[in-house]
Amino acid sequence: MRFFPIRSMILTLILLITVNGAPICAQSPTDVATHKIDDAVLASQFRKTVAPLLKKFCIDCHGADHAESGIRIDVLDDSLPDRHLRLWMGIRKQIAELAMPPEDETQPTPQQREQLLQWIDQALHVARTRPTENHGSVRRLTVSQYRNTLRDLLGLEEDLTDVLPPDAVSKDGFTNNSQAMVLSPLQVEAYFSIAEQALDRCIVDPDSRPAIQTFRVDLGRNINPEPFPEKLILGANNHLLPNADFIVSQPVPSKTFDFHPSQMRTKYRFHEGYQGNATVRGWRDYDSIYHAVFACMRGKKGYPKGNAYETVPGGLLLRPAIPSAELFGTESTYGPHANFKISVRELPTHGNFRITVRAAKYNDGLLLDRGQEAKLKANADAVTVQNPTEPQIAEIVSAGIYQVSVHVDSVEDAPEPKKPRPLLIQLGDREFSGSLQQPAFLVVRLPAGPLKVHVQDGGPTPVTTVALTRLPETANLADRFLTFERRQPRVGVHIGLRRDCGSTLSQVEMPQTVASSQLSDFIFRGDINNFASPDVQKDNDNYLAGIREIGVRSEYTDGRDMPRLLIRSVEFEGPYYETWPPKTHHSIFIESDHNHESEEYARDVIGSFAERAFRRPVTAAELTSLLDVWRDSLTATGDFRQSIRDALVVVLTSPQFLFLIEHSHTPEPEDLSDDELASKLSYFLWNTRPDDRLLSLAAKGQLRESLAAETKRLIEDPRFEQFAAEFTSQWLSLDKLDVVESDRDLYPRLTRETKRELRREPVRYLQHLIRNNLPAHNLVQSDFLLANEVVAAYYDMADRTENGFEFVRLPHDNPSLGGLLTQAGILAGLSDGRESNPVKRGAWLARRIIAEPPADPPPNVPALDEDTTALSLRERLERHRNQKGCVKCHEGIDPWGVPFEQFDAGGRLKNLPVDATSTLPDGTKVSDLQELRHYLASDRIDQVAFSFLKHLASYAVGDTLTYNEVEMLRARGLQLKSRGYRMQDMVRLVVESELFLKK
Amino acid sequence: MPNPPRLDRRAFIRGTAGATLALPVLEAMGQEVAGQIPRRFCALYTANGMSLPKPENEITDWSWFPTTEGSDFEFGASTMPLQPFRQHLSFLGGLYHPSGPKADPHTCSDMWLTGAPLHDPGRDVYNSVGLDQIVALHTRQYCRQPSLVLSIDAGVGFLSRTGTISYNLEGKPVPAENNPRRIFDRLFRADRASLESQRQQLRRRIKLVDAVLESARSLSNRLGQSDRDRMDQYMTSLNEVESRLIASEKWVDVPLKAQDHSHLNLDATPEGEPHEYYRNMFDLIALAFDADITRSVAFMLNREDGMGISDTFPLKLGLSRTHHQLSHAGDRDGQLDFARYDLFLSQQLSYFFSRLQQYRDVSGSVLDNSIVLYGSGASTTHYPKNLPTLIAGGANMGLRHGTYWRNGETRMSNMFLSILRSIGVEADSFADSTGSLSNSIFTIT
Repeated sequence: MRFFPIRSMILTLILLITVNGAPICAQSPTDVATHKIDDAVLASQFRKTVAPLLKKFCIDCHGADHAESGIRIDVLDDSLPDRHLRLWMGIRKQIAELAMPPEDETQPTPQQREQLLQWIDQALHVARTRPTENHGSVRRLTVSQYRNTLRDLLGLEEDLTDVLPPDAVSKDGFTNNSQAMVLSPLQVEAYFSIAEQALDRCIVDPDSRPAIQTFRVDLGRNINPEPFPEKLILGANNHLLPNADFIVSQPVPSKTFDFHPSQMRTKYRFHEGYQGNATVRGWRDYDSIYHAVFACMRGKKGYPKGNAYETVPGGLLLRPAIPSAELFGTESTYGPHANFKISVRELPTHGNFRITVRAAKYNDGLLLDRGQEAKLKANADAVTVQNPTEPQIAEIVSAGIYQVSVHVDSVEDAPEPKKPRPLLIQLGDREFSGSLQQPAFLVVRLPAGPLKVHVQDGGPTPVTTVALTRLPETANLADRFLTFERRQPRVGVHIGLRRDCGSTLSQVEMPQTVASSQLSDFIFRGDINNFASPDVQKDNDNYLAGIREIGVRSEYTDGRDMPRLLIRSVEFEGPYYETWPPKTHHSIFIESDHNHESEEYARDVIGSFAERAFRRPVTAAELTSLLDVWRDSLTATGDFRQSIRDALVVVLTSPQFLFLIEHSHTPEPEDLSDDELASKLSYFLWNTRPDDRLLSLAAKGQLRESLAAETKRLIEDPRFEQFAAEFTSQWLSLDKLDVVESDRDLYPRLTRETKRELRREPVRYLQHLIRNNLPAHNLVQSDFLLANEVVAAYYDMADRTENGFEFVRLPHDNPSLGGLLTQAGILAGLSDGRESNPVKRGAWLARRIIAEPPADPPPNVPALDEDTTALSLRERLERHRNQKGCVKCHEGIDPWGVPFEQFDAGGRLKNLPVDATSTLPDGTKVSDLQELRHYLASDRIDQVAFSFLKHLASYAVGDTLTYNEVEMLRARGLQLKSRGYRMQDMVRLVVESELFLKK
Repeated sequence: MPNPPRLDRRAFIRGTAGATLALPVLEAMGQEVAGQIPRRFCALYTANGMSLPKPENEITDWSWFPTTEGSDFEFGASTMPLQPFRQHLSFLGGLYHPSGPKADPHTCSDMWLTGAPLHDPGRDVYNSVGLDQIVALHTRQYCRQPSLVLSIDAGVGFLSRTGTISYNLEGKPVPAENNPRRIFDRLFRADRASLESQRQQLRRRIKLVDAVLESARSLSNRLGQSDRDRMDQYMTSLNEVESRLIASEKWVDVPLKAQDHSHLNLDATPEGEPHEYYRNMFDLIALAFDADITRSVAFMLNREDGMGISDTFPLKLGLSRTHHQLSHAGDRDGQLDFARYDLFLSQQLSYFFSRLQQYRDVSGSVLDNSIVLYGSGASTTHYPKNLPTLIAGGANMGLRHGTYWRNGETRMSNMFLSILRSIGVEADSFADSTGSLSNSIFTIT
């Protein structure tokens, strides 16, 4: 007997890829006769027809003797137990596609094939719709659920979960699938060490005095009357502020408890130091806070308009920090262009910190580009100031918006100055600097009354006059200025560490809007260990080693003109405690009437902690065994807190905490208990533990009756964003964008910052659809985007929003935008970073959007033989499709992907016209993505809605759905059609289905 | 992965409750450990690349890479001291980290064992886990110390000019040790007090694991059959953790293998004679392997970018410039001196190999049961491709030597994956690997 490697490979493959409940080659049940099929009839048909055919055509090769490809057909009978279903599906596919028997073997007649197929379809239908036994369920918390739960349970911000191996990803893309989950000793060890560390962080000695570090940097030109006399240096590309322009102090915070203000170390001894970029050696002693705290700018110099930064008497002015490509040898790797940071040798080793930035929006003027100016007739309010290089006083008659024109001697002769010259003009106590390219320099609002006018410039020919001309309210420029003036800079704080290459700064909370020109405090909090630490050795002798950085920026969205951010001071406090002992301690050592060293108190503490950790009342046996641990430990250590901590380590490593458990008592479906329901609901819609309200409803047995209301409450709660981020990322494979390396020459706009916002777009969008209960057609086609300035600018719609980083609804009438399928973060992720990829995009659409998953590529796919780079995409796809072993699946993939060809690997519409016509697997022709989206939103909306529903349900229950469950959803989902498949309706459908409520 | 030692926990607990230790437990452990080949890994890093002289300087025989590929290769002048080990080593060409050319070239030592994309920072962790720490993770249950991390300079240096090549699971640098006496004391002379506190800690941890096991067991009894299977996975892991803890706890009392330490000069320091220092460091590694104290070693011989004391070693040896300066040399004299420094390093390496070969294991020599990786993160200065790489030993792990292997450009991570699999770590991937190295010196890929 000959061996057919390719065929057997495919067959094996088919057996591997068929997913439980999502058969790739199964008929939908509507194709099967809907009348009740009798088991006895099937059995007799098998005996009479099927078995003889199998024997005749299959068993020679696939019997006990040969078992080609490991497949034995002789063991099959009419009972179709679950373990045989995949094999039957594979056989069906081989027969249907005429792939088996091999072409040089005796072939069955078409009628015989048909007989076999009919019987298999019916038998599969019967088998799949067999009721399955229920066994409750046991699911481990995913890494993100564990992280969130630990944070919410302990009130500990520090993320200790980095050591956990990442969760396995299920076929549907989900990490919470209990079938894909594994547990290893490594993971268990990590649970122990995380539990110990976390509790050690939370529990303190109440009688001790905590050490608190504070320091403050005040900024402003010549603010320091006694500037540090030595020259400071911080290595390549650090532009230190002049020593006179900042003051470092260590204010003592006011606290309601006794503490120990920790003075920063100022005496250092270093061996390796720097001159410019060169290392110099030799021991030297340092003794000043100014060798421990520095104020500097980093990144590329040069700004498109005006200076990136400058100190004025009132503080430090910053323009938005323009993102950089950050590639060595290509563009600055020091973070965004010209970003301000405070470099510091010492920060606390643990705990929360609080950074207070005192800042204001600068009462700024709009610098004009060449060619932008108002052509003005002289009017009554125009004031001309002669000889402005000496301070002059101008009398402004009426307050208003003024164009400031600066005239240089030569200008009158040659209207175009030879090259732009740097210029600083002082108007009152405000300062404006930029490059003078034409007389019209600035638009600014001026108050009435006397105004100091002073120009400082180093140009070759002196400035002779400054003309201040009031703009009529109708002038376009006045309008532009008003828009400019309304804009608000956003202050962001970042923490990282100094490197010779690359910026490690990560954002501390979201940027905050600075709306007022009055100074106010902006507070940023975080846990110090969630940011890069320098890991420097204790006896370090290098001047630049171990330096940490606190970046403070005016955050950039898309380069629109906006008033500068004025920073007056930055103050750090850490560890930051509201109370002592901190609330992390109090939440464990609760208030109780019992003596604080007694067994009764231990019982209170451990019992209440275990109840919160287990998300249900603790059983007497559980409490007894935890108290045994406590008693044991107390005997061994003699330390009450330590022994409590040991008992709590056991709580945090017990399966009751680490697993979501649904106890089942019989094989019949049973109702979830209220406790189980509370957890299931909150891990579904919040990705974290149930809150007190859910638990107390469960305890009172009222959760079921308030299920609809609670579902709504959970969706409206901020924690729902954790669901949105988790579910959307996994359903839509957003992690692809994290790993794709976009070619920055081809896609310079895809900076790290832009990618981050584009990745947020689908998450925010889905969240919006669900919260507002919008119809499902919005998934593929919609007349609005959810975008912030960064995202809107990426779609060339920057002028539609002034909302900074906030995602808002933006109506649009661009037919090539709207819905998930045109979102740049998704499309860029489904590329190789250089070229768009119709196969990836097609497979993604088939799997995720319409739930028609193609088979996985077979292992060891041979490369295409010849060089195909000269061929067109269409030709290449065809060449690919004609390859043996590829054609069947690619017929179900490529047609979905071709219409996406209008979009490049950066996720934007290509400039050149593209042939995006495609004949879909069902024969429908579409000319481009727009038509495809329309087709999906109308003719195929059932399928789009079903796909969402199916993915949602699978995520909700943390399991792969069975055939019956899928069919139940398919049928039940149709009931939502009349209302347009509204998104929150679908969430409710899942929550209220037996799929969710039964175990 | 080989089975962990199977120990009777109860027997152990009874044993410690009384005055005597449960001896059968020790014997059982001895048998288990003795029954397997100890699989070890040692990474040796040299900074600033190797000498690959320019053709116009006409000293091509001083090229670190052999001039012919395959088994006919000939040693160049700078690697000649390695000739006696021809059948125990191979040169590997064309290796590189795809992340290398994208990052600041001075960070090539940070990336050498990790392959991390250091050009894309801003994450809260700088690096990713290194090969030696993955090996340590899988071998630590068989030995006293998971890993030994050594460097010419103690500590970690500072990020982007790190003084260690080892990074832990969290991507944080593992501090290195550089003082022979301190290393010796820690490895061979642990004091009673620290042993006792170590033991106390382990015992406490064992009790907690035990309590969790109890709680899991009673919970499991109430579960349905299919869910009990899932819970079993957890309990199996817990059991495994517990038996590892017990094994570690037992090591505290297992006497060290009797060894001759008389050849050591523990007063050697980096400030003294370079060869004396390296000789003693290599002696310590060889002794640690022989006594099975650890199975994973990383040793940074010198540092990038003129950092640290090793930069001056060439001067001490009578060569014309510092290590970093020599690596930048383009003139004939400078390139020749750079190659002579390679020669010096080859001599040290040859000494190390001879030590490893002298010590006998259960099966073969220590060298046969150790994979020694020697190389640099750059070929010539700051050129992070075609990384000079030499692998020695590991005959009992399927390595077939005596060749200069090269197959176009190959990812280091693919080679690392082959090392892991040879050591018995069933990893699917390592860093940015795309597969393992087939048709190479590895027969287990």
